[in-house]
Amino acid sequence: MHVKEFKIKWGMVIDIDKCTGCGACMVGCQVENNIAPMTKSDPYNYAQALTKDRDDASNKLRTLTWMNVYELSNGKAFPEHETAYLPRPCMQCGNPACVPVCPVVATDKNEEGGIVSQIYPRCIGCRYCMAACPYHARYFNWWDPLWPEGMDKGLSPAASVRPRGVVEKCNFCHSRYMEAKNQARMDGEDPMNLSEGAYTTACQEICPTGAIHFGDLNNPEHAVHELHKSPNAFRLLEKLGLSPQVYYMSEREWVRKQGDNYNAGGSGH
Amino acid sequence: MSVARRAFIQMSVGATVGILFTPTVWVALDDVSIWTQNWPWIPRLKYGEVKSVPTVSKMCDSGCAVKVRTCAGEAFAVAGNEDNPLSGGGVCPLCANSAQVKNSPNRIKTPMLNGEEISWDKAKEVVAEKLDAAGSSVAVISGDQNGTVNEVFSALLADKGSDAFYMMPCDMQAADKAWTGLMGGYGQIGYDLEGADVVLLAGADALESWGPTVANLKAFAANGSGKFLFAGPMQTKTAAVADKWVPVPAEGMAAFTLGVAYYVLQAGMTVDVADFAPFRAMVMNDYSPAKVEAATGVKADRMAAIAKQLLAASNPVVVPGGSVAAHGAAFALNLLLGGAMKAVPEFGKAVSTAMSRSEMLNKDILEGVNADLLFVYEANPAYALPEQVKAGFTVAFDSVNTETTASADLVLPTLHGFERFDDLASPYGVADATYSLGVPVSKPSVNAACAATFVLGLADLGFETFEEVLEAKAEAVGADMDALAEGGAYVAPGETPVAAGLAANVLGKAAVPVKGSGALGLVPYTLLNVGTANRATTPNAPCTISNNQLLGDKMVVMMNSATAKQLGVGVGSKVKLSGGNGECEALVQVFEGVLTGAVAAPLGMGHTVGDEFSKGKGDNVYKILTVSSEAAAGASTWAGSTVNVAKI
Amino acid sequence: MDSKLFPEGVQRCGFGQFLIWTAVILGFFTWGLYSAVLVLYNGIGTTGLDNYFGFGAWITFDLAVIALGAGAFFTGLLKYILKIKQLEKIINLTVVVGFICYSGAMLVLTLDIGQPGRAWFGYWHPNVHSMLTEVIFCITCYCTVLIIEFIPLVLEQKQWNKIPFIHALAHNMHINMALFAGLGAFLSTFHQGSLGGMYGVLIGRPFAFREGFFIWPWTFFLFILSAVGSGPVFTVLVCGFMEKLTGKKLVDFKTKALMGKIAGTMLCVYMFFKILDTWAWANGYLPSVGLTFDQMFYGVIYGKWLLWTEIVLCGVVPAIMLITPAIRNRPALLYTAALLDCFGVCVNRYIFTVQTIAFPVMPFDAWQTYAPNWVEYASSIMIVAYGFLVLTLVYRYLPLFPQERELN
Repeated sequence: MHVKEFKIKWGMVIDIDKCTGCGACMVGCQVENNIAPMTKSDPYNYAQALTKDRDDASNKLRTLTWMNVYELSNGKAFPEHETAYLPRPCMQCGNPACVPVCPVVATDKNEEGGIVSQIYPRCIGCRYCMAACPYHARYFNWWDPLWPEGMDKGLSPAASVRPRGVVEKCNFCHSRYMEAKNQARMDGEDPMNLSEGAYTTACQEICPTGAIHFGDLNNPEHAVHELHKSPNAFRLLEKLGLSPQVYYMSEREWVRKQGDNYNAGGSGH
Repeated sequence: MSVARRAFIQMSVGATVGILFTPTVWVALDDVSIWTQNWPWIPRLKYGEVKSVPTVSKMCDSGCAVKVRTCAGEAFAVAGNEDNPLSGGGVCPLCANSAQVKNSPNRIKTPMLNGEEISWDKAKEVVAEKLDAAGSSVAVISGDQNGTVNEVFSALLADKGSDAFYMMPCDMQAADKAWTGLMGGYGQIGYDLEGADVVLLAGADALESWGPTVANLKAFAANGSGKFLFAGPMQTKTAAVADKWVPVPAEGMAAFTLGVAYYVLQAGMTVDVADFAPFRAMVMNDYSPAKVEAATGVKADRMAAIAKQLLAASNPVVVPGGSVAAHGAAFALNLLLGGAMKAVPEFGKAVSTAMSRSEMLNKDILEGVNADLLFVYEANPAYALPEQVKAGFTVAFDSVNTETTASADLVLPTLHGFERFDDLASPYGVADATYSLGVPVSKPSVNAACAATFVLGLADLGFETFEEVLEAKAEAVGADMDALAEGGAYVAPGETPVAAGLAANVLGKAAVPVKGSGALGLVPYTLLNVGTANRATTPNAPCTISNNQLLGDKMVVMMNSATAKQLGVGVGSKVKLSGGNGECEALVQVFEGVLTGAVAAPLGMGHTVGDEFSKGKGDNVYKILTVSSEAAAGASTWAGSTVNVAKI
Repeated sequence: MDSKLFPEGVQRCGFGQFLIWTAVILGFFTWGLYSAVLVLYNGIGTTGLDNYFGFGAWITFDLAVIALGAGAFFTGLLKYILKIKQLEKIINLTVVVGFICYSGAMLVLTLDIGQPGRAWFGYWHPNVHSMLTEVIFCITCYCTVLIIEFIPLVLEQKQWNKIPFIHALAHNMHINMALFAGLGAFLSTFHQGSLGGMYGVLIGRPFAFREGFFIWPWTFFLFILSAVGSGPVFTVLVCGFMEKLTGKKLVDFKTKALMGKIAGTMLCVYMFFKILDTWAWANGYLPSVGLTFDQMFYGVIYGKWLLWTEIVLCGVVPAIMLITPAIRNRPALLYTAALLDCFGVCVNRYIFTVQTIAFPVMPFDAWQTYAPNWVEYASSIMIVAYGFLVLTLVYRYLPLFPQERELN
């Protein structure tokens, strides 16, 4: 498998044992990245009245949740039952399934830091990348982005609003990376050697339990460098060889086991 | 003619070829990528200086200390405030969306008298007139649990000779009734979750909705070695990260706690209070593990194991939730264990005629409110307590449309949290007395005003504006106003709790589990992203609400497979829940984290007024809660609510 | 009324009857057009697709018609390159069917992509590593080839053909058709393969992922084989359907049986490799990533019956039927085998498109199901109606069947 390596590798280590699934990260992400609230009707589109309503947020297969929290169950009946919550950003795979399939190079992994980009003005909306990604980290703009009246006043300057018909996904709040590098240059520091906390993502910043650790996996001065080597650390679907830059950790074995498929054993492809 | 035609063709071909050699065509083609991005209806971003301004957000019950991120002066996002112990950098999911609520079309834009727009001057006239007419028959319902705005309202009541100050039902009230009322304790109970080595959350969903949620979460995260045990009827999100979930029915929580206390007493632990002997006798006789097991279904060895863990700990704490009895039992247990329970002293008052917090918590809203003139401040009793509240004339203060503002006679728009001065004094549950100040971040976007300043104009309470009140408050607290405005909190350490007694008499009777007559126990639960009794969900939060709470427009209730089998229902079955005086419709989800014989239903949905994100979504579980009287404790509780479930 | 425009020496139905027939087709077409307008104006949210099923009925439809349209390139290859003379009796029809299938597929694709205005970015910003880029290249190029192959037939229209220039042009194009047939065969082979490769390269989708040869996963070759194993008999089915409809004999049975034999042979080769591939996938690849064969199926909607239907009932059975002369030479059985064969390839394309993404790869995720809504059906039916319309006009006005005069 061809894994693209970089000197800097931005990654996350998410401590599942600390995640309560409260949803603050998802809200923070939507706000930071100008993901429009899900509204049923489109007052500006008269043709919408001819057909069905747009989707509301209860339709989980139509929401745009770059950061999405999954609920895990140990599968046992009451009272042996246990639950856990697993926040899922884009895995920023080292060997991404989505990048080689894009027919128009609208997504790429070519920048120092290893973040998989998504170029909205180039995306033709074929959704092949969505079919390719086993983590469901990619989302399609099924409808025009629409803010209830007046709410578009308070948009975040961090991400341009995407039109309908393009695919989007988490990019580790990339504009914050640019800002952090600019700040480092202004402070006379090395933008290629950011200190821990100089660059943070919205989800990590807002998480009340600090379950999300973010940093350069390759930088020994960043906490994630040690954390991702913990015996309790694992990645999702490692056997497929996508080599994600997002790690999880849990002391609970059943949680770790749900990170990959073990029904037929198998040591990976 | 033919020559002309030939010339024309030549020119056409030449022009075509020529244009192809210019960049025109190619640039135009390339521009497609730009204009297909920028349709006129796609909002453009406004750029400008990005700042982070500290303030407080009061969307959730306890309030969050936040930093509002602004771009060119316009608030667009909320981040935590690292410098404030209430936040430590985190934000709850409701407050995380506060900037969006500020710009919501659901904001109340101007004062309204019976549906007619009126001016603020006119509103003041109307209220002054009603106030004169009402005499002492004036009441206040406040949805704010910890703001100095309550001092202003309670001072107005005092001025009119009324003591009818009500808070929306909350655990803080049960705690105060148990601690101040029954046990004669001093201060407000707090829990040092960060310093404790064993935390028994006895009904307190502390990591999701109970108490100062964000501070709890921070403490949980910082408490590396502490063990967290969660006892409750449902595997809540708190239980998901706790080391152990102990299934205990809500009405049995007090008995369960006393059952644990049995082992603690057996181990020889004592408290130096007058009624210790009767307390010990009461527990040893009436709450022996066998008896508790029979009454609550919790196995005796389970309680023994928990007691052992608590006894072995150097700094344990029990955090109660639910009825007054459950609180009393937990406080007694904490006193026996002598661990991380704290008594938080109350800050000095700004308005001298105002009530103390304990006085504010004295009246029980579940027993009903009836007044000629009722002020409702940022609370939604018409939604959560539709049967309990009656008034001749209702003045509702709120920033957004709710059931309460829709049914009020006079609606007065309050400034959004980011547009006003506000404060946060020791939210219930914090271990140390904590005071934070909120200052305006944005300019008002509607014709709203500060509620407290409006009230100050109705009577002579010694202040002209709320800002002055807050300055006086800061002085009374002993904090520096400027440091507070910069986002820091004033912190005074919590003290060792001292009680006059253990209320042996009352607890013995009040802790007996009392259950309604319905077939199934009802487990109402709160998720902050779904909303609270006073605040509906926010624009971006619905994406975070799982299909285990809401599917389409239908509420989802959860039960374990044994219960489902017993009822003859399965995943997706449509059911009707009837309890109290109401009914709810829901779909069934099988979730093994619910006590057998119980059904878990999310509070906070089923709004009939509001924006499209909450209105018509799910059903209102408050309708089916049963209020039962805790006769012995002189209080009422929702614990022990039952429902009948019918397949439809 | 329009009899002067008919091909030389044949009978066509009355103009009134023709108008009614056309009106019915246009009715369906208009319904589909309405759905297409909704899609373009309101967005793809109008369909039954979602974030789990980014590919659905449209892509299945595309892949199926492209496979069935493979009769054009393969028959062209056999006739012009391998010089199998008998196929000239049906070659026109294969070209028209191919043209309809490919142009129809391209129309559906413009609906399917979220930003049709950027459809040409495949040329502008090509990603040479993407199988889909190859598909975009080859489909558009091959569609052009099909148009070039189609033009001589149009030029041979009786009235036009009287014009000496057009007559000469048509003649010259015919002479050079071998070049286009060869080009078409090359392009078509590649994109049939790339369509299969599209799924085979999905490293994140164990249901579809396959090892392969060099850069091409096995599905690349399997898709080519299944296309050539079904395309020719699809033409036979279209021909048979037209004969039923018009009540005329249009192509002699010998030619049809030959097409059946060709498809049957290819289908046999395909089935051999398909079974081998499925076995290797189930016993080699899946266990290596911790999965079992049984896990790949779910309930009735994505049950194993789909796979068995594809491989046995609509694969091995028609292969045997088509390869056995005694069966193949009986019209009813030939058509039955052809139907099974074509249905089988459609099921294959459906499974690869939909079941591939329905399987929850993350262990804590759940199977999701997909059902197209009326918008997707209507727009697909629009393409079918478009095909009917083209065939109707071609049959009425162009010399589609060289044998028609002698057979009737």
